[in-house]
Amino acid sequence: MHFFQNDFYFVLPELFLFGASLSLLMFGVIYSTSVSHGKPGLMKVMSWASIVCLAMTLGLVLNTPVHSTVVFSQSLLLDDLSTFFKFLILGGSILSILMSVQYFETENMRNFEYLVLVCLSTLSMLLLVASYDLISMYLALEMQSLCFYVLAASQRDSEFSTEAGLKYFLLGAFSSGVFLLGCSFLYGLTGLTNFEAYALFFAQQSNIYQTSDWIFVQIAFLFILLGFLFKLSAAPFHFWAPDVYEGAPTSVTAFFSIVPKVSIFGVFIKLFFCSFYELALLWQPVIIASGMLSLLVGAFGAFAQKKIKRLLVYSSIGHLGYMLLGLSCLTIEGLQSMLAYLIFYIVMTVHVFACVLALKDLKTGQRIRYVEDLKYLAQSQPLVACAFVLNFFSMAGIPPLAGFCAKFYVFFAALGASLYFFVAVALFSSIVSCFYYLRFIKFMYFHKETSVSVEYVQMDQQKAWMISITSYLLVYLFFCPTNVFLWSEKVALLFLN
Amino acid sequence: MHCISFLHCSLLLFLLGVWGIFFNRKNIVVMLMCIELMLLAVNLNFLIFSTYLDDLSGQIFSLLILTVAAAESSIGLALLVMYYRTRGTISIEYMNLLKG
Repeated sequence: MHFFQNDFYFVLPELFLFGASLSLLMFGVIYSTSVSHGKPGLMKVMSWASIVCLAMTLGLVLNTPVHSTVVFSQSLLLDDLSTFFKFLILGGSILSILMSVQYFETENMRNFEYLVLVCLSTLSMLLLVASYDLISMYLALEMQSLCFYVLAASQRDSEFSTEAGLKYFLLGAFSSGVFLLGCSFLYGLTGLTNFEAYALFFAQQSNIYQTSDWIFVQIAFLFILLGFLFKLSAAPFHFWAPDVYEGAPTSVTAFFSIVPKVSIFGVFIKLFFCSFYELALLWQPVIIASGMLSLLVGAFGAFAQKKIKRLLVYSSIGHLGYMLLGLSCLTIEGLQSMLAYLIFYIVMTVHVFACVLALKDLKTGQRIRYVEDLKYLAQSQPLVACAFVLNFFSMAGIPPLAGFCAKFYVFFAALGASLYFFVAVALFSSIVSCFYYLRFIKFMYFHKETSVSVEYVQMDQQKAWMISITSYLLVYLFFCPTNVFLWSEKVALLFLN
Repeated sequence: MHCISFLHCSLLLFLLGVWGIFFNRKNIVVMLMCIELMLLAVNLNFLIFSTYLDDLSGQIFSLLILTVAAAESSIGLALLVMYYRTRGTISIEYMNLLKG
């Protein structure tokens, strides 16, 4: 008997990452406690080692010979869609570690477990986007959240960080409880846990609307959607996000806002477009409502904020609204525009967090926290200020930049699916959100109190490269977005066929 | 007896857990217990469905949920200890450093 004999070959990237993160852990535990080496901090070495591990995993993922296969008794599906998401996840993790190497040094962080946890949560996200069964999905989702709770609280002596971790834990555990209740109803109704089996089941049960089970179907979907929207921090369930993202260390905030969105969207698309497409009339209104609320919360919630991190969280909630808008079209164009938006969103978020992580006052040792702190930036670091302006214009959707392209495409797809009211709300909130992006620029350039000058710590090379490359991309992708669109279209087409 | 009467029991337990989280304004340990109660209620739900449908995957699911719940509560308690060390209290009323 050969159980899963060939299946292990297909999950080689995941197995490699698992082994690599355990080796990193062993390395860290042995060397950080060794007296003969003077109990070294290891942050720099560990961050480069984990970047190498993740890059090698990325190589394995990209060179996978598999285009569509189901392994481990139908619990994982490895196809081009999951490869696409795995690429984004690994790339996002690598960039978020790369941009915080200097942060670890300047903030005197000595907990190497941080990087092991980043690797492990990346592993769980790889499994999450590949999962093809409710059980494997729940396990991967839980592994991801458990890593995130600890990451949010990774600054053990900070009151803010521990409080953020605890809040995240309580609300996240609650949401996974509700999600599980939905799963249990779904299981009770169908006796199935496999995604493909759900698709077949609901395709046969075309008159399920009339049966007495319909109320249970509704309840199950409501709870499952609630769990997903909560993990995405979409609007009615966004209340935890600003607190957690603000309290966590900035490197963790960058990681949280870049990577998990990709993984959750990956499994969301797979579950809802592949298994529950027949019941689209049931879940589409929920997505539309949540998307509209996210747009409005993202636009209006940011007005009262004075802290940069909270403002960025609200802006990411707004971006989430556009992605949900693309998703709720239920067409290939909608899916494609949403995938393209995801790529643009990652570029913009990497850019803005690289800028935020770079700014530390040389004299006082304070990091910038408030929007007002930016008012000396244009004098002391004109290039960073320029990059900031570029990015905020892009996020606001001003034409010669990538953000405009992304928004335009989503609007176009939504108009094609005749979601006119949603598009109107999105346009309105896009205009409103221009206001607070422009407020950043006002603080940087039009605040004439030039008596004080602030010097910032010199940026390290990686971040400088990252900021310049992403700035270039922001302009380049406006003029030549073809590659992104072709790529996302290929994935969307392959998926919906 | 019909499946529904068993479901009443598990849903009641789940609701007790939810109420405990929302109406509890005092301490976090009780909240942790309520989260456990929610997960166990879902477990019971899975087991009921599993016997009702005569299908094994529900029982496998519930075993896995048990394991995850144990990991989750250990992480929760660890976070709680850390929080107590920095703040000196585990009351929910004082969990308000992060506000907009």
